[in-house]
Amino acid sequence: MAVSRKPPRREVGLVGWLRKNLFSSISNTVLTVLASLFIFFALYSLLSWILFDAHWERVWVNLRLFAVFRYPEDQLWRPLAALALCLGLLGATTGLSRRTTENPILRGVFFSFSLVAALLTVVALLFWESVRWSWLLVSLSSVAGYIIGMSRLRIGKLLPWLWAASFPIIALLLYGFMPGEGLMRVVPAKEWGGFLLTLVLTTGVIPSFPIGVALALGRRSELPAIKYFCIAVIEIVRGAPLIMWLFVASLLLPLLLNVDANSLPSVMRAYVAITLFSAAYMAENVRGGLQAVPRGQTEAAKALGLSGWQTTRLIVLPQALRAVIPAIVGQSIALFKDTSLVFIVGLTDFFTVANVVASQTESLLITGGIRLEVSLFIALVYWFVAFRMSVASRQLEQKLGVGER
Amino acid sequence: MTETGIPIARADAPAGGEKIIEIEGMNKWFGDFHVLKDISMSVNKGEVVVIIGPSGSGKSTLIRCINRLEEHQEGRIVVDGIELTDDIRNIDQVRRETGMVFQQFNLFPHLTALENVTLAPIRVRRWKRTQAEERAMYFLEKVGIPEQAHKYPGQLSGGQQQRVAIARALTMEPKVMLFDEPTSALDPEVIGEVLEVMVNLAKEGMTMCVVTHEMGFAREVGDRVIFMDVGQIVEVGTPDHFFTNPSEERTRSFLSKIL
Amino acid sequence: MANGRTRIPFYRNVKILGVLAQSVFVMVLLIGAAILFTNVNSALKKSNLPADFTFLDDRAGIPIAESAIRYETDNTYLRAWVIGFLNTLKVALVGVTLASLLGVLLGVMRLSRNWLIRQLATIYVETVRNIPLAVQIVFWFTAVFTPIPPRILNPIELPGGIFFSNQGIALPWLYPTYRFAAWNSWLLLALLVFLGLFLWRRRQIWLADRPGNPWLLPLAVGLLVAAVGYGVVERSGNVLPEGIAADFLPDRGRGTVYLDADGNGRLGTSEHSVPFVSLTIGISEGQLETTTQNLTESKGDVNSTFRFPPIEEGEAERIEVGFASPVDAEGYDLHFLRYPSVGLVYQDHNANGNFDSGEELVDPADPTKKGFSGVKLVMTVSGFERTVIADRDGGFRVPRFELPGAEAQVEGGNANPFSVFRPTAAPSEAEGVEAVITLNKTGPLVLSRPEIPVSEYVGGIRLTTSYLALLIALVIYTASFIAEIVRGGIQAVPKGQSEAAKSLGLSDSQTFSLVIFPQALRIILPPMISQYLNLTKNSSLAPLAAYGELFVITSIIANQTGASIPAATMLIVSYLSISLSFAFVLNIVNERFALVER
Ligand SMILES: Nc1ncnc2c1ncn2[C@@H]1O[C@H](COP(=O)(O)OP(=O)(O)OP(=O)(O)O)[C@@H](O)[C@H]1O
Ligand SMILES: [Mg+2]
Repeated sequence: MAVSRKPPRREVGLVGWLRKNLFSSISNTVLTVLASLFIFFALYSLLSWILFDAHWERVWVNLRLFAVFRYPEDQLWRPLAALALCLGLLGATTGLSRRTTENPILRGVFFSFSLVAALLTVVALLFWESVRWSWLLVSLSSVAGYIIGMSRLRIGKLLPWLWAASFPIIALLLYGFMPGEGLMRVVPAKEWGGFLLTLVLTTGVIPSFPIGVALALGRRSELPAIKYFCIAVIEIVRGAPLIMWLFVASLLLPLLLNVDANSLPSVMRAYVAITLFSAAYMAENVRGGLQAVPRGQTEAAKALGLSGWQTTRLIVLPQALRAVIPAIVGQSIALFKDTSLVFIVGLTDFFTVANVVASQTESLLITGGIRLEVSLFIALVYWFVAFRMSVASRQLEQKLGVGER
Repeated sequence: MTETGIPIARADAPAGGEKIIEIEGMNKWFGDFHVLKDISMSVNKGEVVVIIGPSGSGKSTLIRCINRLEEHQEGRIVVDGIELTDDIRNIDQVRRETGMVFQQFNLFPHLTALENVTLAPIRVRRWKRTQAEERAMYFLEKVGIPEQAHKYPGQLSGGQQQRVAIARALTMEPKVMLFDEPTSALDPEVIGEVLEVMVNLAKEGMTMCVVTHEMGFAREVGDRVIFMDVGQIVEVGTPDHFFTNPSEERTRSFLSKIL
Repeated sequence: MANGRTRIPFYRNVKILGVLAQSVFVMVLLIGAAILFTNVNSALKKSNLPADFTFLDDRAGIPIAESAIRYETDNTYLRAWVIGFLNTLKVALVGVTLASLLGVLLGVMRLSRNWLIRQLATIYVETVRNIPLAVQIVFWFTAVFTPIPPRILNPIELPGGIFFSNQGIALPWLYPTYRFAAWNSWLLLALLVFLGLFLWRRRQIWLADRPGNPWLLPLAVGLLVAAVGYGVVERSGNVLPEGIAADFLPDRGRGTVYLDADGNGRLGTSEHSVPFVSLTIGISEGQLETTTQNLTESKGDVNSTFRFPPIEEGEAERIEVGFASPVDAEGYDLHFLRYPSVGLVYQDHNANGNFDSGEELVDPADPTKKGFSGVKLVMTVSGFERTVIADRDGGFRVPRFELPGAEAQVEGGNANPFSVFRPTAAPSEAEGVEAVITLNKTGPLVLSRPEIPVSEYVGGIRLTTSYLALLIALVIYTASFIAEIVRGGIQAVPKGQSEAAKSLGLSDSQTFSLVIFPQALRIILPPMISQYLNLTKNSSLAPLAAYGELFVITSIIANQTGASIPAATMLIVSYLSISLSFAFVLNIVNERFALVER
């Protein structure tokens, strides 16, 4: 009779793992040694530069520029209030979602962003006197949002409306509405900058969504005029790079609308270009989802007597859009990175601030300037956001692929 | 007569009945390909018509023309007195009066079984939700799966899915039910449960057009059997006539292969 | 139409409704277009800006640092734009090749059996693709390529005559000369031989009925024929074309090789230059001057550095470097970093004859401040001779020598391995040196080596730091996406495939090359091609590296002329045609693979 035995010692445990993964053959061992040496020297030189040689103080003193650039200092509570609103809503959504399958993903995203907010709050409490309480508000709001979401309050129906309402509120907060020098005074868009502007421009993905869905549906239309128009728009827009569209928009929009070039703020021109550009890519993503919906679905809906529009709205779109959520998240990440191109129309987003700061300090007689420092700093910030979101997108993809309900 | 040399048969319903489907001289092409040739047939109220034929003979296309999932190019199709033309109102009406069950079920995966069933009554017939759900539960019970109402299609077996699909079609209270090989995608052991539902339905007097290879079903409840080949009706008759002494050579060779 | 017995009201007829919807849609579009058109028209009238393409024939006056074909600032806008287009192609083609190589390597690394290698590749991919490309370009351009490479006069010399400095990389390059035409018939012959042999070999292999390589032998023989032809052409007699001459201005160190049509010995406006001619320039006696400077370089501050145009020891019979003024000669010493052209002036406090740190000159006005510049030095050269290859525009350059001043006086006493001459008087005004120019015979091709005659690269092929920064950023960024495609493609081949192949007895490498790779390629190629397109489109981020490609040049044109609409049209049309050509290639690829599938 066979008795199950333990595998030989060298096949399992740490030793087994090492043997299998690092030293399985001579060539493998050589690779391991070379890679270790490379990692050691790379880490060593990087760390010694980061810890001893780099001039991080120049980044530290310019943090406000990085965050908002020229947004008036006494009005800084406004963008922070907007941030508080967003985090609060995200918290509520997360708290509320605890019974759905997406919950762990949402929770991960929410926790990492509110953790960063909490860290910044601590820093603000210690060092940044003018925004101390605003940062506290941000942290409190995210916690409060989460607790409200978790509680028995029935805000589930309300939440989509709150999200929808948050956009005009945020716009009003940032832009202001009072003339003069008062509390809610107008801060024209040309004074927005830094990370704030990067985020504002990234929201272009929101209006691009309905446009993209419309283009995608149009592309599948049976009516040739509509179909070919949509194909032309999608392919022309996708055929050229965003930087070109930004440039062309800033050249042509004043002409097309026959208005004075100065009366059309650059932010607006960039926003239009970004939205349309994103819409064309959105259309292709959505089309992918639409194609994944089997023909039988529309046929069944038709056979039940649903009209064409009802079929699209109730049967096709819900399935198509669910399937493309990961792609849409991916596209938002891409757009977030691509907003760095607005330098071409003279805007000072997060990326451009870095160049401004670097060239300002060039005259401070720091050998070699602080190009490396600012590059690394903004790279890290971009990376954190993009990486965190792309992890979430991948998790979603897996969930949708496996779950399928 | 066509190039195949087989004469085209007519499948007229027995006289005396109230005709609910009338097809006269109907032709259909996919591009250059002539799928349906001079189809003339009619179905009486309460009749169960079984359509058989080899693969690619145009059976699915024929019954899909009856609710305008496919558009015919020549001839007339009249369902419950409504002619299928380019008139969008007629198309909508016909679709409301006919239910269809597909080979691949085509349940909506993002809706629960109950939501699948109530969708059309609420949106098309504009019933109240409670009323729709009541009717839906009635039909789900009838097909034998009331306990699955709140599950999603992905959580149901093939036989259960097809029964939900039948309930979905029935809840619209159609005058005619069209079945396109409803059991072909099912595992052998669950075919029975679906056929049972269909047999009950037939016995209750529902008008049915069924494309199927289940000869047992045809024999038990079929009033007439239509045999199609290469896009034309080859032979029509009662199940008895068919399974004992079919007159056409083509029919015989087909039946000898599947029986 | 099924039948016409009952008339259907038009508002219920599906066909008419479709036509109606489209007409309304087209109408709305037309109205919108008309509104925009009138807007543009009136706006243009107001501003009086060019709205057609006639301005393309005007003088551009745009300086472009690098171009694949001849370009001068006097050329037209059209030519400037063409240069931009070519520069886009130049960065795209090289970028695509390098990104593929790096991407495939990384993709394979991500599947490595070695855990460490796998993690390294993962870190690379996850880092690089989550940082905006713009940030990466700026990083390479301003944080790496601007501060780190040494100045042009003290370049890093890599083996094979490659230079690397803050002006970029210069590599030796083969150029076709005026004699290339004589080689053409040989090349044709080589091609025919190759084709003939190829067909013969293929038939032979087919007859033998077993796998074989039909390429190797024909390729080798074809190359051999071409090489023989090259030798024959190079050795054949009279080679210099009739009337070729060189116009050299010794006091500017510049000259041009040209065809002297009117025979007056000078380069007239209607006379053509001849590119890529080899010539030897001899100067019997001459003198260079320079002044020391305080500079900030990558490794920190360097004080009192002098730099002469680079001259190698072998290029002259005698080279002497010394102080221009006797006063300096008394107090200071010379330390060469690169004899004889680069070094620094110092005060040998400890009199060990060598430069030690702390011995830099100090500012006499403020002794606490390190660094003092402005010491004049001269280099006297006799018997200078250098062979150069004229550039694409027939131009060539050598250091700008002046007539030597007072007689050089060499003194010992300095422990430097090189003699330092200390003049007793200031040099007299230079009048110009005599130069002897010899035109050399060449073969069909000439190997042009980069040189630094004065303070920029001449000869060879030069890649600016702008180009390098953009290229490297694009390659590194795109490779991270390609790596994922390659990994996904290889993983997508079912495991059963390699198991089946192995069970048939194929070796590991056969399994990969005959079974896995062909299947993976089919999955990999389409997304790979769209990454190539992305790279090409992303090259439009060139303004961040100051590289003059399509987008940069066109936007400069738009800004200079105010011709918004023509410039926007040019941009959209060029990018669209690039995208369409990629789509075309993609279609061909897809079709080929679809055929294979059957
Ligand atoms: N949308 C279409 N476009 C072109 N040809 C089609 C289309 N749908 C069906 N056909 C062709 O029409 C013919 C009849 O198809 P149909 O589906 O009606 O056959 P069937 O009798 O139902 O066969 P099966 O038993 O395999 O379901 C087939 O040859 C098929 O290839
Ligand atoms: Mg069928």
